[in-house]
Amino acid sequence: MVFALDFFARRLGQGAVIVLLVAFLIFTLLRIVPGDPVRIILGPMTPPSVMEQTARELGLRDPIPVQFFGYLGHVLRGDLGHSFIRSAQGGNTGGSRGDTTHENQNRASVAGLILHTLPYTLQLAGMGVLFALLIAFPLGLAAGLNAGRWPDKIALYASSVMVSLPNIWLGVVFILLFSAKTGWLPAIGYKGFAYTILPALVLAIELAPVMMRSIAVSVAGNVLENYVDVGEVRGLSRWMIVTRHVIRNAAIPLLNLFGVQLIGMLLGGLFVVEYIFSYPGLGLLTINSVFQRDFPVIQAVAILASCILVAINMLVDFAATNIDRRLQY
Amino acid sequence: MVAEIALTSAPSRGAAKGGLTAAMLQMAWRAVEFRIALFVFAALVLLSLVGPFVFHVSATDFNIMQRFLPPMPLGGSSWPHVLGTDQLGRDLFVRSLIGLRNALFIGITSVVGMFVVGSAIGLTAGYMGRWADLVLMRITDAQMSIPVVILAITILGVSRPTPASIIAVLILAGWPAYARVTRSVTLAERQKEYVRAAKILGASDLRIVVLHIAPNILPPAAFVAVLDVARMMIFEAIFGFIGIGIQPPTPTFGTIIADGTQYLLNAWWITTAPGLLLAITLASINIMGGTLERARNKILQGIG
Repeated sequence: MVFALDFFARRLGQGAVIVLLVAFLIFTLLRIVPGDPVRIILGPMTPPSVMEQTARELGLRDPIPVQFFGYLGHVLRGDLGHSFIRSAQGGNTGGSRGDTTHENQNRASVAGLILHTLPYTLQLAGMGVLFALLIAFPLGLAAGLNAGRWPDKIALYASSVMVSLPNIWLGVVFILLFSAKTGWLPAIGYKGFAYTILPALVLAIELAPVMMRSIAVSVAGNVLENYVDVGEVRGLSRWMIVTRHVIRNAAIPLLNLFGVQLIGMLLGGLFVVEYIFSYPGLGLLTINSVFQRDFPVIQAVAILASCILVAINMLVDFAATNIDRRLQY
Repeated sequence: MVAEIALTSAPSRGAAKGGLTAAMLQMAWRAVEFRIALFVFAALVLLSLVGPFVFHVSATDFNIMQRFLPPMPLGGSSWPHVLGTDQLGRDLFVRSLIGLRNALFIGITSVVGMFVVGSAIGLTAGYMGRWADLVLMRITDAQMSIPVVILAITILGVSRPTPASIIAVLILAGWPAYARVTRSVTLAERQKEYVRAAKILGASDLRIVVLHIAPNILPPAAFVAVLDVARMMIFEAIFGFIGIGIQPPTPTFGTIIADGTQYLLNAWWITTAPGLLLAITLASINIMGGTLERARNKILQGIG
């Protein structure tokens, strides 16, 4: 218990610093690159004086540290700000309507946008990981237990093929084969659960090889350890040794992988897959926001993503230390 | 970048110079699939280098008379448009080969960059320990807390993407994985007898790291880096697809595939044929990398 408290006290502090650094990095980056968001907010026909006024009202002409700490204050009070571009009713307002003013009441709140899109993304992520586990766990375990024999070869070829299929290409091919030609599954947008299946499959094929290879390597390494022979001497069945000991011991590096690498891959994969399938999740929102220079949305997503990664990192390290007390963090 | 366990259990018989690396290469070479993949890869690289000159077809000139030509074995195709033509009558084979050349260049350069940066930081952190380790690893953690694609989309989306900035973004996103692995292996390696022996003989820290530890632990990591070349090529294609890769008219796989999606139903080959060429290239790289990785694991665990 004391150990857990000590661990979380230290890691929460470090995690907060990391999230702050990430937030500052993205915040600064967005403001030093060329391209004025006010031009996109108000449209190209706006007189310069109005543009300057709006920019000042939005605080975009203040020094970057002043802007950052102002923003941070709002975030800490739970206010993620309002989108530059999106109207509260849903559509884009950017320039096209000829607005000459920018009022927060007319703009969608960032928190609302994220809360609206997050469930779609979580559903897609969950399905993707589920499909990936269904592919990777049986093949990986079989390969690890039979290193060098045919299950190992099959797993190697399967993962080599899967890892070689670029997700953008696979997505388009799936749309062509399963949607456009045969009409089996819907593909573009979201009008029901069936719209999740094709994107989730593309995601799963991206994740499965990494899972499979590490399950196989980790299990194969553990099968060679002395404790497996000792177990046989003790008269334990092969099944008992594998389920009780090998999988448990193989889990430490796997936890690490599932935590850090996989969540990172998953986040990246989600963005691309959502973009290919026009799936209305967080990734599509972010990509569109980058092109529209919708700073508040990009910042919020970056902070959210780094919070998730920091939290996962912390939990993984905690679990690994609990399983094997020799590890120190 | 997952076989840390396998790496740390390395027996210290790597003292014979290059012995381990040579043994790993030999072991990989014995696998038939490695030789096939190497042959396919070499052929594709050669083709991407000389192909555009041999075929005498421009990759960027429009030819409206010859648009939507299907690929070779199908009716209506014409020499030398092996993979057919796109919506503007540009030859897809030559465009794919130039795209392949760009993808290979970006993939290899960025992996070399992230390997050098990541290994240097990992070696320093692992060997120095204490505050250097803490600071460097926290930076690595912070870096790993931003997903590659978000970082890349933000940087490339708001600035003007060039090959140099794409490579820089990939290096920026990729080095922490190398730093982590190198650091964890260095931590274990530092405890070994030969390091202590070198210290007693009066070797400087720099000498120990560069001449003794690095040659022992870096070649195995370099083998796995081959797999990352394929990953970076996929990223390059993704950037092109989103529109933040190398800009048109220079052909890249991403832009070719993105352009073709509008004509998916009546001209399916515009997206699928170049993608297949990319997939074959990636498969050859991945099979080579996979075989090398397995040879390394076997030898490090002392089975081979």
